Order: sequence, then structure tokens, then C-alpha cells
Amino acid sequence: MTTLEQLSEAVGAGKAKDAKALTQRALDEGARPGDIVDKALVPAMAEVGERFKRNEIFVPEMLIAARAMKEAMNLLEPHLVAAGITPKYTAVIGTVQGDLHDIGKNLVVVMWKGANFRVVDLGTNVPPAKFVSAIQEHRPQLVGLSALLTTTMPAMVETVRIIRTSGCPPVKVMVGGAPITQQFANEIGADGYAADAGSAVDKARALVGAA
Amino acid sequence: MNVGLIQLVTPDGCHDVSMTASELALPLSELLAHRGFPLNTRCGGRGLCAGCEVELRTGALRCLGDDTPPPAGASGRIKACQARAGAGPVTVEIPARSLQNHEPAVVSEFRINIPWARDPLVPGARVGAAVDIGTTTVALLLCDLATGKVLAEASAFNAQIRFGEDVLTRIQLCSTDPGAVARLQRVVVDETINPLLAEACNRAGIGLADVGAMTVAANTTMLHLLAGVDPTPMGVHPFRAAFLEHRQYAPRELGLRFGGDTAEVHLLPGPAAYIGADLAAGMVATGLLYDDGPALLVDVGTNGEIIAKVGDQLIGCATAAGPAFEGAGLTSGTRAVQGAIERVQLQSEPFAAKLGIIGGVAVPLGICGSAYVDFLWEARRTGILQTTGRFTDAFCVRAGDHVQRDIHGRKLRLHPRGASGPIWVSEVDIARLLQAKAAIAAGMVTLLSLLSVVPGDVKTLYLAGGFGLHLSLEHAIGCGLLPGLAVNQIQMVGNTSLGGAFLALQDRSLLDEMIAASKTMKAIELNLQPGFENAYIDHLALP
Ligand code: B1M
Repeated sequence: MTTLEQLSEAVGAGKAKDAKALTQRALDEGARPGDIVDKALVPAMAEVGERFKRNEIFVPEMLIAARAMKEAMNLLEPHLVAAGITPKYTAVIGTVQGDLHDIGKNLVVVMWKGANFRVVDLGTNVPPAKFVSAIQEHRPQLVGLSALLTTTMPAMVETVRIIRTSGCPPVKVMVGGAPITQQFANEIGADGYAADAGSAVDKARALVGAA
Repeated sequence: MNVGLIQLVTPDGCHDVSMTASELALPLSELLAHRGFPLNTRCGGRGLCAGCEVELRTGALRCLGDDTPPPAGASGRIKACQARAGAGPVTVEIPARSLQNHEPAVVSEFRINIPWARDPLVPGARVGAAVDIGTTTVALLLCDLATGKVLAEASAFNAQIRFGEDVLTRIQLCSTDPGAVARLQRVVVDETINPLLAEACNRAGIGLADVGAMTVAANTTMLHLLAGVDPTPMGVHPFRAAFLEHRQYAPRELGLRFGGDTAEVHLLPGPAAYIGADLAAGMVATGLLYDDGPALLVDVGTNGEIIAKVGDQLIGCATAAGPAFEGAGLTSGTRAVQGAIERVQLQSEPFAAKLGIIGGVAVPLGICGSAYVDFLWEARRTGILQTTGRFTDAFCVRAGDHVQRDIHGRKLRLHPRGASGPIWVSEVDIARLLQAKAAIAAGMVTLLSLLSVVPGDVKTLYLAGGFGLHLSLEHAIGCGLLPGLAVNQIQMVGNTSLGGAFLALQDRSLLDEMIAASKTMKAIELNLQPGFENAYIDHLALP
């Protein structure tokens, strides 16, 4: 097996230490950072997403795989920047104001990166104005909002409203999180909803027209 | 030969206590215990609590090591475990609160690890009611305040459940509907507490008018709703409670029907919005507060609170585990009630499940928390489950129609004919259990690492909550719920929230201890702890 194949397998199996070591080995062997992403990480995460959709794996296994992917990405990102490689699409994401849960959102971040999006992560407890200024600054095609608490769903409503009325460049809005439903997404005028991090990738690609 | 004389003044009169020469050096608390006047040495006589304070009337007491007078506390009282009598005559008054009336004991479904006095919170009351209002279940017991005897117990679902299963849903309702606070208050009082009280009185053969006192321990949201106080600010950042302090009411102010004009209801104090009076009660009842540690109190419930104590440091967190270990949200999950499967033993080849059912009934209702813990362990032991929580392919092949597949994944049949069809454990159920387990395990290791302690250093882990007093600790450790611990480090303590309410009724000084515990405990926000997410993911797998 080549190093890239081994890396792909380590990410899929959620072996974070191996993933990090193999990424380093690939770099040492002279692999181009962009190739490591395209030929090892993207297919690995695509496979993880597919298996998740087929109910072959669940959230715990996905989190473990995502962490392995993150280890690899942490090593690669400086190289990608240095090589001037920027993905075609940009997404801004954050957990809405008042909510501090980010494990699910972080998973979406990794899956989006795995689908070769540039992802600007605003973190948790993000006020609407911060989404607006990030949209103005980074000109993303997509903005993602996550909420995990019944009581922060109103903050999501408010954030969508402010993004829509702030006069910032047009952007697709996608929402998600355990209490969120498709119906709620429709009601608040979001462009898309995903129930999990696997379908969040398909939905994102569809919304930006990459699918 | 007697060389000294102490005159004791206790609530029931005067007593002379003589001392021999060899007893002159003994701590006063120890001497008095030898003479039939044991004090409430809750901290084991280490000068950490106020349980053995006495008042010096005449004469002099001395420090243990030298002849200087022992330091007096703010109240002017002296800790009897830190003082000795010396040769001269002295008169010492022992207040009721310091006289031990009860030794540590297992009472109904909880364990009390400290001694306590007979110094009722509401003087003059003959019978008191202790109440624990859980988000899901409410438990109540009646206590004879003269003897400390439990007269009757009763429990039921919290009728507020129909407005939402978890606290946040009920808080959310209050924030959108102005009438909701009053409605939720009426529901828990009229439909749950009043009927439980009537039922318990009936069973004890006493009248509602005989009940003169009530203490209530509960999470902070439940106390707000009982008091009719809007919990809305607790639902959003920064999650502040409107009140955490001890509160006193007349029963009718809350709509409670008991007692006469002098009856009192006491809402116990709590440390934080998501670490409530139920935990303050638990810290006292388990003795965690007086434990030098490293010690932990772990309450396995929806909020999954964990408190850690090392020396003077007392910190706590809520892990938001979710209700899986209470059987909620799972295919065949149920609470630990009559008919619930509470124990599981598995055999892989050929597949067989030996089930222990509460009440020994033939048709099981469903599976409760302790049995899920057994299941996780047994299924790993027998090679049925992988570390990821999925059934092994080899097992699925030989299990025949015991394993079935639907759109959500695979599920294993534990019993063909339960009260509402076959009893299943699905892979989705297991994933939920793993998430709840991971939250608790990660909360625990995160708290401990803040105190620079590893699980192996823990002297005692007090395990409280819905599991009651019946859970296989081997299996709880084996499935990774309590990582790094050994059975001999763990003590099952049951419903210590009710235990603490029961104590406060009988020994008013313990209310002060709960107030102190609530002020001392520092709440840790897990989301601000950089290690939590990693620990959570680490603990998702089965060992
Ligand atoms: C943009 O597009 C998209 C698309 C899809 C998106 C998306 C965005 N975002 C998510 N998705 C989707 O994809 C992901 C992968 O498939 C999924 O993400 P999830 O986030 O759903 O799934 C994650 C991968 C794994 N799941 C999680 O990460 C959440 C797990 C549980 C256990 C949980 C955790 C871990 C925590 N918590 Co909190 N917590 C609980 C949770 C109970 C449970 N067992 O689920 C829940 C969510 N918490 C709750 C509560 C009440 C709270 N928590 C709190 C705190 C915490 C911790 C700090 C302890 C910790 C968070 C740590 C962190 N860094 O995130 C408090 C509030 C903090 C705050 N300000 O936000 C507190 C208010 C109180 C407390 N008990 O401490 C409950 C909410 C109840 C409700 N009705 O709203 C809760 C359901 C537990 C419960 N039953 O009581 C999908 O939703």
C-alpha cells in the first residue's frame, strides 16, 4: 500500500496518531500537500460520509474519524497556504449566540474541509453581527449555523433574519443541530437543512452548485 | 482514680462526667463518646466541620498539643475534637445540633455517611416531609421528627413531563408563554406533590395537619418552578438562575396542602444554575464535604453532575449526558420500575440472554439503566459487540433471527415477548448510550485533571442517581462509564438528594452546611475546558 492509501485507511478507521504520522511521512516523501488532501483525505472522508448515510457507522465512529482527519489537516494547512492552494468554495460556520456546543459543528467543519471547502470557523456563541462581518470579509458561497439547545433556536431565527436584511453579499444559509428540523429551516427562511454531518456535505455541494 | 470533672449541660439536663489521668489528653469529643454522649464528628474529628461544637460555660479547655486555650469559632463555640478538658473543673454546654442522634445508615433508597443530630429545622413540628423533585421522578418520605424514623414513602412521575421531558423544554415554554410558570407550578404541586403527600400520610396513618415541615431538594429549574419564579434566564447564555439561596415559605403560598399556621416549607440552597440543591444535599449526605479526598460525587442522570473535592478545593460541573441511562429515548428503554429488566447476562454461542426482572414478573416492560450497563459489558465480554458499539459480523452470522436489520441499522432481540412486543437493543441505542457514557467519563477526567489528580488516586467515588443502590460496579467500570476506577473506590449512595432533604428536616445545622457547600463549590464550564472535547471523543469507544 502507498503512504497515501495507508493515510486514507487510517483516517477512515479513526486512527489519529497514525494519520498524523502518515501525513508527515507523505510530506517527507515529497508528496504535494494538495495531492495529500485530494487523494487521501477527501476520499477517506467521502467514504466515512457514505458509510454514515448507509447506517454502517454512527456519530461516535464519525467523530473519531473526524479527529484523525483534523490531525492530518493541522499538519497540512500551513503547507497548503504556502503553496497558495485555495479550494474553490468558501463556507463560514458558527454556533449561534447563546449556545456553546461545538462538537457537532466541528464535525461539519471537518466534513466540509474533507469535501474541499475552505471553511472559516467562527466558533461558538457567535452574535449575528459577527456572521455578517465574516460574510463581508470572506465572501463565502455558504454560511452554516448550528444550534443544540431548544432555547437557542430563536437566536438562529434572528441570525438568519439579520443576514438577510443586512445588505451583505448574497449567500446560501444552511442550518443544523439536534433540535433543528427541515420544517423549522423552511419557516425561518434558510436555504438548506442537514440532519447530520454526512448529509451536510451533500447539501453544501448542492447549495453552492458543485453537485 | 478520677482527676477531672466535666459538668455537661445538654438539652435534657445536667450530667457529670469524670475523667481518669490517662484520659486527660483525649479530645473532648472522644471522651464524651466513651461516656455515652457521642457528638456529630462528621469530618472524623479533624476539625473540618462544625458538627461537634460545644459552648464553654465555666472553667477552661485546652488545645490538644499544648496548654493554650483552643480557638473559638465565630459563634464563640469550640470544636470538641480540637480541645481537651485538662484537670480543672469545667462546665460545657452541648447544643442539640452537636449531639449525635443517628449513626451513618442506609435509609430506604439512599445511604447517609454522616452522623446527625435531633435538632429539627422546624421546632415543634411532629412530622416532616422530605421531597426530591426530579425532572422525571418525584420522591417523598415522611419522617417522625422525634425519633428520626421513616413513616412512609411515595414516588411518582413529575406531572410536568407532559410539558417537556427535559428542563430546557420547560424553560423554553416559560420564555414564550407568560402563563406557563404559574401553570407548571400548579401542575407539580396539585398533581404530584399534594397527592404524594396525601398518599404517604394515608399509609402512615396520620393527618395532613400533623405534617409541620417540608424540605425540598431539586435541580435549580425545578425549584424555580415550585416557587413560581420564571426560569427563563437559565435557558440562554450566560445561564443565570434567578435564585440559588435557601428559601422559606408557608405551604399555602405554594399551594401545598398540609400543616397548620406554623408549618414551613424550605427550599434547599444550590451552588449553580445546572448544579442544584440536589447536589448540595448530596455533598452533605455522602460526607463528600468533609472528605479530604480526592473524592468524587457522580450523579448519573440527564444533567450528569459531577463534583470533585481535593483538600479545600471543591469544584463541580454538569456534563449534559442526556437521559439514556434513565432508559429514555431508547428502543425498549424504561425506568427502573416493576417489570423492568434490571440485570442482563449474555451467552454468545448459541445466543442466550439471562434476564433479571424487577419484581420477578414474567412479561418484561423494557430495559432500565443498570441492565444497559450490564449489556454493554456482557456484549463486549462475549464478543457480540466491537469497541465501536457495533455488533461483530461473526456474531450476526451465527445469531440467526436474534439479530434483525431495519432502516436504522441492526438490532438484537433480548426477549421475544415483552409487554409491548419483543425487547430490542439496537445499534442506535448503543450509540446513544455511548454518548451519555462519554459525557460522564469525559466530565470526570476533565474535573480530575483540573485538580491534577488521576482516577487511580481517587479515595472514594460516591455514585448517586437513577441506578439507585443496585448496579454492577464491575460492569460500570468495564463499559467505561467510570474509567480508571476500581470497585473498591466506589460507593453506591442512591438518591442522595432525598437523603439530604431528609437530613435537613432533622438537623438544622445541616442546612447551614448545605449553604456553605453551595458557596464554596466552584462551577466549571466544561465547554471552556480545552481537553473536554478530546476526552469526550476518546470515551465514545467501549474498552
Ligand atoms: C450548518 O449545518 C449544520 C448541519 C448539521 C449539523 C450542524 C450544522 N450542527 C450539528 N449538526 C448535525 O451534525 C452533527 C453530526 O451528525 C450532529 O451534531 P450534534 O451536536 O447533534 O452531535 C454531536 C456530534 C455529538 N453530540 C454532542 O456534542 C452533544 C452531546 C451532549 C452530551 C452535550 C454536551 C457534550 C455538552 N453540553 Co449540553 N450536551 C447535550 C448532549 C446530549 C446528548 N447525549 O446528545 C445537550 C445538547 N445539552 C443540553 C443542555 C441542557 C446543556 N448542555 C450544556 C453544556 C454541555 C457541555 C459543555 C457539557 C458539552 C458541550 C461541549 C462542547 N464543546 O460542545 C449546557 C449549556 C452550554 C451552552 N451554553 O451551550 C446545558 C444548558 C446545561 C448542562 N446540562 O450543562 C441538552 C439540551 C436540551 C434541549 N432540549 O435543548 C442536551 C440534549 C442534553 C440533555 N438531554 O439534557 C447533528 O446535529
